[in-house]
Amino acid sequence: MLIKKSSTTGVAPQKSGKLSGILAGAALQTMDRRGFLKASGLAAGGLAAVSALTPAMVKQAKAMPSASGNIVKKKNICTHCSVGCTVTAEVENGVWVGQEPSWESPINLGTHCAKGASIRELTHGDRRLKYPMKLVDGKWTRISWDVAINEIGDKLLEIRQKSGPESAYWLGSAKFSNEGGYLFRKFAAFWGTNNIDHQARICHSTTVAGVANTWGYGAMTNSYNDIHNSKSMIIMGGNPAEAHPVSLQHVLRGKEQNKAPLIVIDPRFTRTAAHATEYVRIRPGTDIPTIYGLLWHIFENGWEDKEYIRQRVYGMDDIRAEVAKWNPEEVERVTGVPGAQMKRVAETFAKNRPGTLIWCMGVTQHTVGTANVRALSILQLALGNIGIEGGGANIFRGHCNVQGCTDLGLDVTTLPAYYGLVEGAWKHWARVWDVDYNYLLGRFQDKKFMETKGIPSTRWFDAVLVDKKDLEQPDNVKAMFFWGHGGNTVPRMPEMRTGMEKVELMVVVDPHPTTAAALPDRKNGTYLLPACTQLETRGSRTASNRSLQWGEQIVPPVFESKPDHWILYKLAKKLGFDQEMFKNIKIDAGDEPNVEDITREFNKGTVSIGYSGQSPERLKEHMAHQADFDIVSLRATKGPLKGEFYGLPWPCWGTPEMKHPGTHVLYNTNLPVKDGGGAFRARFGVERNGVSLLADGSYPKDSEIQDGHPEFTYGLLKKMGWDKELTDTERATIEKIGGNNPDAVGWAIDYSCGIIRVCMAHGVQAMGNAKARANAFGLPDPIPVHREPIYSSRRDLVAKYPAMADRRDYRLPHLGKSIQDKDVSKDFPIILTSGRLVEYEGGGEETRSNKWLAELQQDMFVEINPEDAARLGIKEGQNVWVYGPENNAKAKVKAMVTPRVGKGVAFMPFHFSGFWQGVDQRKNYPPGADPIVLGESVNGVTTYGYDPVTHMHENKATLCRIEAAGPSA
Amino acid sequence: MNLFNSRKVWAALALGLLLSVGSMTPATAQQATQADEAALLQQLKGAPVAGRVSIPDAKSGVLIQPQGREWRQTLEGPVKSVGGWLLVLTVVALAAFLAIRGRIKVEHGMSGRTIERFKGTERFAHWLTAICFIILGISGLNISFGKTLLLPLIGPEAFTAFSAFGKLSHNFLSFPFVLGVFLMAVLWIAHNIPNAVDMEWLRQGGGIMKKGAHPPAGKFNAGQKLLFWLVVLGSLALAISGYILMFPFYVTDIAGMQLAQLVHAIAGILMVAVILGHIYIGTIGMEGAFDAMGSGQVDTNWAKEHHSLWARDATTRGAGDD
Amino acid sequence: MARMKFLCDSERCIECNACVTACKNENEVPWGINRRRVVTLNDGEKGERSISMACMHCEDAPCMAVCPVDCFYKTDDGVVLHSKDLCIGCGYCFYACPFGAPQYPQVGNFGSRGKMDKCTFCAGGPEADNTKEEYAKYGANRLAEGKLPLCAEMCSTKALLAGDGDVIAQIYKERVSRRGYGSGAWGWATAYKGSAA
Repeated sequence: MLIKKSSTTGVAPQKSGKLSGILAGAALQTMDRRGFLKASGLAAGGLAAVSALTPAMVKQAKAMPSASGNIVKKKNICTHCSVGCTVTAEVENGVWVGQEPSWESPINLGTHCAKGASIRELTHGDRRLKYPMKLVDGKWTRISWDVAINEIGDKLLEIRQKSGPESAYWLGSAKFSNEGGYLFRKFAAFWGTNNIDHQARICHSTTVAGVANTWGYGAMTNSYNDIHNSKSMIIMGGNPAEAHPVSLQHVLRGKEQNKAPLIVIDPRFTRTAAHATEYVRIRPGTDIPTIYGLLWHIFENGWEDKEYIRQRVYGMDDIRAEVAKWNPEEVERVTGVPGAQMKRVAETFAKNRPGTLIWCMGVTQHTVGTANVRALSILQLALGNIGIEGGGANIFRGHCNVQGCTDLGLDVTTLPAYYGLVEGAWKHWARVWDVDYNYLLGRFQDKKFMETKGIPSTRWFDAVLVDKKDLEQPDNVKAMFFWGHGGNTVPRMPEMRTGMEKVELMVVVDPHPTTAAALPDRKNGTYLLPACTQLETRGSRTASNRSLQWGEQIVPPVFESKPDHWILYKLAKKLGFDQEMFKNIKIDAGDEPNVEDITREFNKGTVSIGYSGQSPERLKEHMAHQADFDIVSLRATKGPLKGEFYGLPWPCWGTPEMKHPGTHVLYNTNLPVKDGGGAFRARFGVERNGVSLLADGSYPKDSEIQDGHPEFTYGLLKKMGWDKELTDTERATIEKIGGNNPDAVGWAIDYSCGIIRVCMAHGVQAMGNAKARANAFGLPDPIPVHREPIYSSRRDLVAKYPAMADRRDYRLPHLGKSIQDKDVSKDFPIILTSGRLVEYEGGGEETRSNKWLAELQQDMFVEINPEDAARLGIKEGQNVWVYGPENNAKAKVKAMVTPRVGKGVAFMPFHFSGFWQGVDQRKNYPPGADPIVLGESVNGVTTYGYDPVTHMHENKATLCRIEAAGPSA
Repeated sequence: MNLFNSRKVWAALALGLLLSVGSMTPATAQQATQADEAALLQQLKGAPVAGRVSIPDAKSGVLIQPQGREWRQTLEGPVKSVGGWLLVLTVVALAAFLAIRGRIKVEHGMSGRTIERFKGTERFAHWLTAICFIILGISGLNISFGKTLLLPLIGPEAFTAFSAFGKLSHNFLSFPFVLGVFLMAVLWIAHNIPNAVDMEWLRQGGGIMKKGAHPPAGKFNAGQKLLFWLVVLGSLALAISGYILMFPFYVTDIAGMQLAQLVHAIAGILMVAVILGHIYIGTIGMEGAFDAMGSGQVDTNWAKEHHSLWARDATTRGAGDD
Repeated sequence: MARMKFLCDSERCIECNACVTACKNENEVPWGINRRRVVTLNDGEKGERSISMACMHCEDAPCMAVCPVDCFYKTDDGVVLHSKDLCIGCGYCFYACPFGAPQYPQVGNFGSRGKMDKCTFCAGGPEADNTKEEYAKYGANRLAEGKLPLCAEMCSTKALLAGDGDVIAQIYKERVSRRGYGSGAWGWATAYKGSAA
């Protein structure tokens, strides 16, 4: 037996005394196991308290010994998915040297997934974009920040002069902090265009549109933690085991503690499905028939919550009529799900309430995305699962701050906080920004464009390529900004590539060069600006459950990279609107806009969704007291924040001083509004065709109005006689806003938040108390109807369930039926769908550059069912060509022969790029900034298809052909 | 090929047997879809449990390989104990033989005249092989028995240094060793085809136990032929198994590696035992024998006694063979 | 005295690979060395289970038994460690290990596979605790800091447990009895001569 060498003593004892001491302690505890388990909460809370497991088992180290002893702990939030895991960093002399579990975080309880557990690598940045670069005659050339900003600014001004402000496209990012995102939105407003978008378009835009049109807000209604309360769960079109791994901790605890059935509905047997109690395989693109198939049994057997529907749902009878068409036989014919299984699932979900319904991109990324979301929402309404703990539409958002950036208006249809683009919205924000409305108007082409929604990011290249006469704006897009956005995440990449080659100016602002830098064959006019990650700056981000979390700077930006707000300031200065834009934002040393000032500014303006109470001070306090929050209710049970919900999940009504605790579960009538309760938003009027849209006998606890009511205005406040309770300042503000007609001032534009405060004092929700809409009049399909994917191999169903007729929207033609009418299924017989891998995220440039992650997935692949593979003579691991039906598209990838996919269906992950139609593009990246792993992009072969409401792309149901491409390399 | 390590079908099948699927209520389905390790291992009867991994390292797809236990038990048990004692017994037997039989003399005494028995090429091939084999043998034995015999004497650092050097020599000297064996095989194969003379030689036990008995033999007697074939085939086994070990997992999986190691260890120990006997008879065991490989010139009397047929031919032709 | 063990609850493991990258992160494990890995059985079919596997620090460690240079040792807490100064990279430990734990920096040119590397239960190696030398050769020594292996501490679903064998077995037992299914901690029967629940 060896003995431990020691640098200090000649012959050391077997092991250092320190360890034996610590472990002796642990051993002592194990002697009285009962006592130990009790102390650690394991006996009582069982698995709920496993978070206590590790620290309790071995005493925490007093201090980590290190050479210099200068280790500082910093807390930030993981920059990958939307779960919002706290990252605890150990920093020594400005270098991030170690990562420790964040035990205190009520969201991740110390845990991470592969991405979070390797996030330290990002700041080491072997493959980061290190300094600004530009393309000079096809060669990447290093330039200074000053030169970059000057040249880009000059070119922008030239384009503005020549083609107007609409010809610059501002594609932002769900990786921004709230502050960066808000500033980006504001920047576009000051530039004068609504051509501003971000990843929400391609992940949950249809969710936001669908649920907001159903019950008011476009967000996850409950939280990851609340799933502990669920008695049953359906995960549909989502693979959180790979996309949101830490959420599975909550899902599996719900499953184990409540013996809750976990039903996974997906075309693919995913890692999530492996943990299901019931797996339902559907044909891609048949979500509505599936949901209606469930509702058929629910209505047939009277399992719906009749009282809930009577009180809180509008138009359910219209749904019944549609559902009646979906008898078990038709459902099986369309979806492929056997009738008996449908009935079993319907019964299980209906009888184990509260049940939560979780969905992701499998539902949203369809030509019928919004209708899909609506159908799922209606199922939850039918069962009375919305507005209660353990229920909910638990929409797992994608990126770390996609919720925040959606809320803050990085969207072609709205200003921050969903005010839309109407004049009143602009005037509201002009007041918040303290600039003249006419100044803003002057920045735009004209008033029409100021109030016209822009071009969605899924189609920006159409705005470059289409004939000017088909484009409803003065000129094609000439300048394209990829600000934290991969270039490989939307379909039709062959056309996008042409678009990239045709724009005059292309600017990539990102920690990595991204696909946009490597894909197009450009010689000049491309700039790469190194943005730092959120780990290298500070600010808040909003997790999927609407909790805001404040991250502190772990290390300064690496190399020459800069935070987004710095770059925006520099650019605004160059473009000449910095004075107005940063009027109330202090500029700190080094030309860095003050982050907290930005937070305070959006606090002031985002009254409508309750982003107003989350001051930087409150958010920082929440991070400091993470340990005080209960992991199921997310409520602080002790300490200075007692009673508040973790991260002040929006709506956190009123000003920070009003101390609203945030809203853990939306529309929850079991709590008073002031304690986080609420009701459905009265957003769509008070009645329709003589039928009331307001709630009937349902109201938040302690409400003085014990029935439905419309949104509050100053006028309504007066009628109720509550206006006297406003403070003088509040009244003055309202009257100033209202001008000649102060009575019309609604609660949402009253940035004094007086109306909200007074309503809350009476237990009333200022945004009204309405019914949710099963019939969402105003949408293209007010009642969701099944429409076959526009690339459908089921020609027998196309006639009965046709795609939407060709139309125009978002300044562009929008095709549907005309494409569906062409039958390509003979040449392209296999259904192609796509999704995520746990190791990578989004376009994947960042994660494929991380050596600890890249090692785990080194090849792009396509999953093929064993039967198809046998028929096509394809072997596991072999190279194959996947052909798409448009643009002679093709991609060379490895075959993975697996029963994960059903017969006739193929799956490809979407995080790859850097190979184009079989050709390695590594040389196109700036030297040293190429990702470790490259591969073909699935979107090189995916096709046309857009949701009519949001222009979400169709990424889950298209067609392809697969052929062997010789033996594997 | 990475990420696509083929799942072992039988593992899947066996696991599948343990899982009941089909239509049942969720509660029972939950209980039934469990895979139990003990049951699975039993089902697999010692075969490895394997699945899919995403990393390129194909062998990492094996989750549990119970046959490692058998390999360990075989190696640390019978191979080392039986093999070790076999070597000890060989040495003891040779010593006993020497004590009883004494050195085999040239009965008619040295004539003083010599004839050439082995040419330079032959001796080169022999000594090349011999020197390599000695080092290979020592370093090989060290791997098997060093930690029991040598480690306690010289301590871990020196032992590791010795073993590491031994391993390096073992690997690199394998090439000249194989070359030597190959040369010997080519040079001598024609003389090592068994024939009728060998039967008589064998019947008389080579005359080794009885003074004055000299059964006729050609260039090689039956004993030497036996040695030749043992060396050629043994070396072949050692070379194949050795190169498999030297290039791990290039041609085989873990079971193959374990088998290769056992073949190598057993063949090695047997070879060492055989060669000990060969060294004995070629040096202290028999007068005049060493000269054959030493100078290449043997005394004519020695030649007549031990290789009468070859000696006759050689003197007739006035030269060595061929 | 505590007896350190790993336990992977396959009912919880979702193959998220956090354990793998946490290990890489904490120990700066180079590309190609996989101290920990996740294997998925029955991939894509009903009954699919993933299991995170590394050195299990066996009761009667086969690697220790077959090592020709005796470079392994066991700490008081039952952690099986080895000395890279003594290892000659022969590969025997890999043939003996039931779990495929030993890793080698070279794939094997002329059998020079380099010094074996494996999971240390985040307990470093023979060098003095938490020295640069120890870190460079073996990675972190979290046990000496009073912490447990980072793979288990960061496991996304608390599938992977690490710590005193009795304690984690108890936690697992309670988990199994609470949920009423899914017993059988993979590797326990092989590594520790007994099952966890």
